[in-house]
Amino acid sequence: MPTLIANELLKLRTTRAPWLLAAGGPLLTLLGVTGLFASGADTGKADTATRAVAHAGMVSLLALVLGILAVAGEYRHKTITDTYLATPRRARVVAAKLVVYTGLGALLGVACAAVALPATAVGYAAKGASLDWGDTGVWRTLAGGVVWNAAFAAIGVGVGALVRNLAGAVSVALAWIALVEGLVGQLVGGFARWLPFAGGRAVGNLAPDAGDLLPQWGAAAVLVGYAAAFAAAAVSTTVRRDIT
Amino acid sequence: MTEISVRDLTKRFGAARGVEELTFDVPSGQVTGFLGPNGAGKTTTLRVLLGLVRPTSGEALIGGRRYADLERPRRVVGALLEATGFHPGRRARDHLRILAATTGVPVSRVDEVLELVELAGHAERRVGGYSLGMRQRLGLASALLGDPQVLVLDEPANGLDPAGMAWLRGMLRRLAAEGRTVLVSSHVLSEVAQTVDHVVIVHEGRLRYAGPLDGLGDDSLEDAFLRLTGPVPDPAGGAPQRPGGTAPAAAR
Repeated sequence: MPTLIANELLKLRTTRAPWLLAAGGPLLTLLGVTGLFASGADTGKADTATRAVAHAGMVSLLALVLGILAVAGEYRHKTITDTYLATPRRARVVAAKLVVYTGLGALLGVACAAVALPATAVGYAAKGASLDWGDTGVWRTLAGGVVWNAAFAAIGVGVGALVRNLAGAVSVALAWIALVEGLVGQLVGGFARWLPFAGGRAVGNLAPDAGDLLPQWGAAAVLVGYAAAFAAAAVSTTVRRDIT
Repeated sequence: MTEISVRDLTKRFGAARGVEELTFDVPSGQVTGFLGPNGAGKTTTLRVLLGLVRPTSGEALIGGRRYADLERPRRVVGALLEATGFHPGRRARDHLRILAATTGVPVSRVDEVLELVELAGHAERRVGGYSLGMRQRLGLASALLGDPQVLVLDEPANGLDPAGMAWLRGMLRRLAAEGRTVLVSSHVLSEVAQTVDHVVIVHEGRLRYAGPLDGLGDDSLEDAFLRLTGPVPDPAGGAPQRPGGTAPAAAR
């Protein structure tokens, strides 16, 4: 297993897409925080700091795409054949990918948090105010952002292993977030808060005023549940499937 | 014990025909050509042999064991399949370094195989810039990485220029002379005739001939191939030809 994990890291290091995604996350976070203050955020309001640092969690969309690349990217370039020839116990390959990409998602979350927090402090300073570093809401939001990134990366691995077609998997995932979950949410009423993107927003404290989200801890548990369910489905289908 | 043995192998893809009750052996120390028209079931057979596709029934064994049961499979079997691919943005040496770790060989072996397939000068290039022939060589390098006793190559001559073909022929002969089992699928019959000692011919998922090349009789390999893979004389379900060793299959 350590060999497989090291191998997944080597695969990541030797292509450019992961680096671009990793660089894009902190950059988007910086843009988001800066934009919030540039558009006249009121530093006098209690939740402004939380709203600013919540941008670190939104990067989870990139974590999701990164996770999808793990398996679907190997199908795309047909390197999956060599991967499974070297490790016929395919479940171990998927497990190694889950470990690596979950860790990577968390790392992306930490990197974005490390950008969001000072950017927010600078935003406050620019308006002649100062950020309250003891604000637990800020720290819980940053921690939630890390969890959101890690969970979405893991879910991405599962989605990529299930769908396998790279373009298809990315389309399905982004369409779900941008469109489908909203439509489904209207149909299922109160159950909507249990859906994955609602769970992510609750964990990352995105739009914390919205009363229809789960509490942060509950949402974190829901995300872990989704990641586990996708992982289980990914492993069970991957083991049986013909590679043609 | 590194012979390949295929026993009563059947694979159906839904209603589509894959292979039907295929039985043949591939001896070590020789180059065996695996021949048949497109869609005959060659690739399916190789994929079952390599554990990538589950057979409907029957089995394909390497030295008496299923591929998935081999301890370090790439040390025993080197494979080059048509569907084997490369990440275009990855450098050739990195591609092989990744495989070296899971194959279970030191990184120094990477440079050895790059030298062997004459790609050492292009090792730092991204594979996206490779020609088809260079990719084929890189695929061969991947197959040879584990110094395996068994080589399974699906259309390895694809994309090679005449010099590359000659080089490949020499390589295959040398590997077989070292006692290895070499199974090569191909549709370029003239190329095969110069390289192989043993042939397995399949058509529409069924075995038409398995045995030494000279067991095909006096006609050329091409004539024998066309005869064996031509319209089946008794489509109503005559018994498929059994691997008869030296026995030519269809009516002459």
